Amino acid sequence: MDDYSSRSESAPPPAKPPSAFQFHGNWQDFAKIAFPNLLLTIVTLGIYRFWATTREREYLWSQTEFIDERLEWTGKGIELFIGFLLVFFLILMPFAVINFISQGLIFQGQEALAGLIVFLLLFAIFYLTGVAYFRALRYRLSRTYWRGIRGGSDNPGFFYGVSYIWKSLAGWLPIFLLVPWSSISLWNERWNRMSFGPHMFTSNAEWTDLMKRYLLFYLVPFLIFVGIFAIIGYLGATGALQPDGGELDPGAGALLGVFAIVVFVGFYILIPIAALMYYSKFFRVAVGGLKLHKLEFDFTARSADWILFFLANMAIILCTLGIGYIFMPYRNWTFFVRHMEAFGEINLDELTQSETTRAGHGEGLLDAFDVGAI
Amino acid sequence: MTEIAPDHVFQAWHFDGKSAVRRPVDIQAIGNDFYLTETERRHGPFAFADMTYVGEQNGAHVYGHDEIDGWRLGLRGEIPGELSGLLPPPRRYGGWIDRLGLGKASITFAVISAAVVAVVLFTPQWLAPLVPSSWEREMGDALVGDFGGRFCSTEDGSAALAKMTHALDDNPEDLQVEVANIDMVNAVALPGGKVIIFQGLIDNARSPDEIAGVLAHEIGHVRERHVMQALLRQFGLSIVLGGADGTGGSLLNGALSSSYSRDAEREADDFSIRAMRNANISPAATAGFFRRLSRLDGSDQPDQNAARITGYMSTHPLSGERQRAFENSLEEGKQYAPSLTAAEWQSLKTMCENDPDVESGFGPFD
Repeated sequence: MDDYSSRSESAPPPAKPPSAFQFHGNWQDFAKIAFPNLLLTIVTLGIYRFWATTREREYLWSQTEFIDERLEWTGKGIELFIGFLLVFFLILMPFAVINFISQGLIFQGQEALAGLIVFLLLFAIFYLTGVAYFRALRYRLSRTYWRGIRGGSDNPGFFYGVSYIWKSLAGWLPIFLLVPWSSISLWNERWNRMSFGPHMFTSNAEWTDLMKRYLLFYLVPFLIFVGIFAIIGYLGATGALQPDGGELDPGAGALLGVFAIVVFVGFYILIPIAALMYYSKFFRVAVGGLKLHKLEFDFTARSADWILFFLANMAIILCTLGIGYIFMPYRNWTFFVRHMEAFGEINLDELTQSETTRAGHGEGLLDAFDVGAI
Repeated sequence: MTEIAPDHVFQAWHFDGKSAVRRPVDIQAIGNDFYLTETERRHGPFAFADMTYVGEQNGAHVYGHDEIDGWRLGLRGEIPGELSGLLPPPRRYGGWIDRLGLGKASITFAVISAAVVAVVLFTPQWLAPLVPSSWEREMGDALVGDFGGRFCSTEDGSAALAKMTHALDDNPEDLQVEVANIDMVNAVALPGGKVIIFQGLIDNARSPDEIAGVLAHEIGHVRERHVMQALLRQFGLSIVLGGADGTGGSLLNGALSSSYSRDAEREADDFSIRAMRNANISPAATAGFFRRLSRLDGSDQPDQNAARITGYMSTHPLSGERQRAFENSLEEGKQYAPSLTAAEWQSLKTMCENDPDVESGFGPFD
């Protein structure tokens, strides 16, 4: 038997294991990778960044222990570079040419045709964004090894792109109220096509668990507007807003101050907090619905953790005049690993090599559209 | 190649890539091959030549096999001398950089990058004249066409415009100068010898000589092949800096191309001054036009006109230097002739009004 739970002699499970995921790295070691990366990225006019990303992932993965063995990143810089070239020559360049043509059409007074072309262009980008999300996850799983076994998917993700379009639109249509449904449903669809070793992932996250948080996030802007209009109404009623040239009533002056504070707090503090609260719940629900054979996953970061995480990131970037930006991959990864949990058991004899194909190119699309995903 | 005695064994761990079971193994090297032996099982033989360096993991050097997905061999600590010659060397940055060292590699890359940027910046000057005029013309036609019917034309107005163009250029046949019925104070040179003067500029002008100065400036862009140069340079920069993501790349791109556009503006001004001297048109009015523009510096916009005039400033960066260049070219005591007669000027000014079938505005943006 190679069942992990029975292999107590090699890795004795403590009474209460801290987590199946442990991170052993430190930021000083990461800095030794990140600073040369920054230098090389600058002197190569950005081309090195694909190899830079790869080196950082190699470090982060190799310092991450799952149960009793380290993860391993086997992606190559050249794969990300090829992905980028594919996107550049097959998508960005043709798009630039089409855009150029449509501008010419506007000059020539063919606004309707130009509008149609731009619409089709945006639609194609929308579709490709969906495909990109799928393929990035597939790429990352297929390059992640644990005990010599990797993940992957045989699905190319083209159909997922179609789902991405209709589910996103269906989420937006009822005044954006079904966004939690569309994002959870897409998360499930994406993960249900992925596998690790011989096992398929199953994802059964429930979108209804998200609705309370979503409505909170949804209502905050309305509440802020109500507050703003209440103050404007009050100021209007007391005549403080009449331009009669007279002195501003001190009470109204104070109210104007309150007004400014409400606007500031509302837009720069309350809305981001509400968004993070939703995001935090989203991750707990989404990861909580994920299973791999007899393993179940959990994500333990709560809203306060996310808020502190973002505040600390901002502080790091501001205090280092932006240089701290190069530590963000480290921060993101450690935050993710610190809060990941796994329960259940793995039968190591049954965990055999993945039969999925390994696509030869990386996350070019996702990179090009500037979106990120776990 | 060092010959290793068959009884020479090294302890290691191994994943065979087929299952996730970790196997404590001894490495038994025989010539260029080796076996991995467990207590009851022997794996192999494997060739040292198939080994790849995977990375460092928890203090161990990890090797992979070229042919077997997931095959791993881990050796803790220093690689024993007998094996280190047979196994691939550890890799840090990969490939070229490891061979050169970080410092030398950085300098090499920096030199190559500088050379590439220099090629992209400087070669358009030589390449642009090599682009056949017919290509450029077709490109201009594809881009502009009839401008959505917004070009104004009346018999007298077009004649006045042609007279001005003929005075300023020796070969006006391959130029296409048009007035567009768009309320913007600006003029542009486009591929294929197209010069478009916007009606707003004419409305704003106090004399035909101002229009002549601006028109000569745009003809200068055409004659110096600036349009093609800028297109080639922009194309090259966007490819070279395509690798850089986001703001860094576009800032650099903007800075590099704008320094070139300043040079191009100066060359076009020189052309304009020469053309007006040859045509015996006074540069004073054009200098006056620049003076009027320079008084409006964004913060101080007394009327609606000002906002429209800033359109010209955004594409033609102004400096006192440019105004002085036109002023200095004014020759004391010289008898200049007006570029158009009062009647011609009137018909040019009213050309758009009097053209019955011209479109107006700027499509969806107006």
